[in-house]
Amino acid sequence: MLTVDQASVYFATRDGRTVQALDRVSIDIPDSGFVVALGASGCGKSTILNAIAGFLPLSEGTIALDGRPISGPGADRGVVFQKDTLLPWKTIADNVGLGLKFAGVSRAERRDRVEALLQLVGLADFSAAYPYELSGGMRQRVGIARALAPEPDILLMDEPFGALDSLTREQMQELLVSVWKRTGKRIFFITHSIEEALFLGTQVLVMSPRPGRIVGRFDPPFMRQFAESRDARAVKTAPEFAELREEIRAMLHATDTVKRDAA
Amino acid sequence: MSEITQSIVLRADQVHAQTGTPARAPSVARPVRTVEMTSFGIAGRPTAVISLVTAVAILLAWWATSRFGLVSPLFLPAPAEVVTQFANIYRDGYAGASLGEHLFASLFRILTAAAIAIGLAIPVGLLMGVSRVAKGVLDTPIEFYWPLPPLSYLPLMIIWLGIGETSKITLLTLAMFAPICLSAQAGVRALPIERINAARSLGASRFQLFTDIVFPSALPEILTGIRIALGIGWGTLVAAELIASTRGIGFMIMSAAQFLATDVVFVGIFIIAACAFSSAAIVRLVETALVPWKGRT
Ligand SMILES: Nc1ncnc2c1ncn2[C@@H]1O[C@H](COP(=O)(O)OP(=O)(O)OP(=O)(O)O)[C@@H](O)[C@H]1O
Ligand SMILES: [Mg+2]
Repeated sequence: MLTVDQASVYFATRDGRTVQALDRVSIDIPDSGFVVALGASGCGKSTILNAIAGFLPLSEGTIALDGRPISGPGADRGVVFQKDTLLPWKTIADNVGLGLKFAGVSRAERRDRVEALLQLVGLADFSAAYPYELSGGMRQRVGIARALAPEPDILLMDEPFGALDSLTREQMQELLVSVWKRTGKRIFFITHSIEEALFLGTQVLVMSPRPGRIVGRFDPPFMRQFAESRDARAVKTAPEFAELREEIRAMLHATDTVKRDAA
Repeated sequence: MSEITQSIVLRADQVHAQTGTPARAPSVARPVRTVEMTSFGIAGRPTAVISLVTAVAILLAWWATSRFGLVSPLFLPAPAEVVTQFANIYRDGYAGASLGEHLFASLFRILTAAAIAIGLAIPVGLLMGVSRVAKGVLDTPIEFYWPLPPLSYLPLMIIWLGIGETSKITLLTLAMFAPICLSAQAGVRALPIERINAARSLGASRFQLFTDIVFPSALPEILTGIRIALGIGWGTLVAAELIASTRGIGFMIMSAAQFLATDVVFVGIFIIAACAFSSAAIVRLVETALVPWKGRT
């Protein structure tokens, strides 16, 4: 269980004011849970992920992974970034094996495990390629394989598919579901796409901005349905899906200050 | 008119698509006009031919100037004289040493100094990029000394280190250290924080961060620094060889100047130019070998 308890974050702005990015956010991510944080731009999604990853200390509150409080980044929490952060001087295989290298895993064992991971994300043929030879979607898959390699206790993903076209994006979502199913990893996933959140999350947290807080919690059944049926279209076009989608849309519209200000 | 044609073509394509004509392979055998995005500035287009033409033009102008006696040979010897003098020096040596010995003396000094400067400046520069204390302590002396002309602290080198090889190599090392150190710092500054964060959540220790992320990230900047440093090194060579030398290309130039042997001075200048050009070309080769990803991340 990963628990975020009453987390608040305040930032100091350049002109000396204080802005609150998170307001007493509490999240429980159970074992093999897939928790999705959904919200408009600026509602503190990245802030909470950065805090869980250990890149950002909290102003108030605590975060604990299986009872151990978090005090910095570590290999127990794998991170997939929105922007790909692959090392351009390393091959795909070496990028994926980076965490294993840091952990002192022998070269031979590294090779086997990297091969299996590349197989998992469908990139077995590209182990000798360099990142600049890959498309955005392929790089994102490498990013997922790399984060999985040190066998973290939880995978943190910050809008990993945000820059992909909708077709690739759907393929990636399905891939992620199969990875989740096969590895049984806990996943904390950030998106601003309602459909993506509903399709992927076993738990969806709806967030509102200024200050960022959780305004709604849902437990959609769709991801498990898809994991069973492998029929994404059927899941996404089901009336229950559309109903929940519209409910959340209305909720986001009511709290989205950007759209409210613009209107 | 052309718009109409285009739309007809488009329709034809759509029909093809609808009737299921197999997609054509993207590579075509017949000659076509390939296009690319309009660029700004030089953008990697070759300049070698233009440079070559310029070089020939300058040589012609030089030849014409001496051929028509516009300038006294004392100031500007004819190209042919310089070539002859080069052949002479190559055959007989100069001031009791062969041309090879002069060249070797200079190369030895430059390369030793470069090796020391690179070995010191990279770790120091990277450290200054990541550590507040290192930056604070080392910034003062480095920022103080590096804008100074090497000739100005040359006397100190002689007083402190004597007139042997040590003072010459130290002078060259000091001149070459700063650009590498500053570029290594710039390389660290350009390092995106996401890259560091990614590595830390993959379990990198501080040392591994340094060797696996910080150093390779800064490598393109470091190599640029090394190229500049080698240029400065060759530029400082004459000053270094002012210190009681009997060997070296710089010594050859200064000694020839005392006898107003302008042609020998020219021979020396061309040798230094050729050496500097070659060393820059070598670093460029190293660059393409080590950082093929440069500019396309
Ligand atoms: N370093 C910082 N200094 C000051 N304010 C910050 C800082 N980082 C984030 N903020 C503020 O905190 C709020 C939340 O930012 P955050 O990056 O978490 O949003 P987000 O939900 O991830 O948005 P997006 O979907 O656009 O990525 C924003 O209003 C932002 O202005
Ligand atoms: Mg964000």
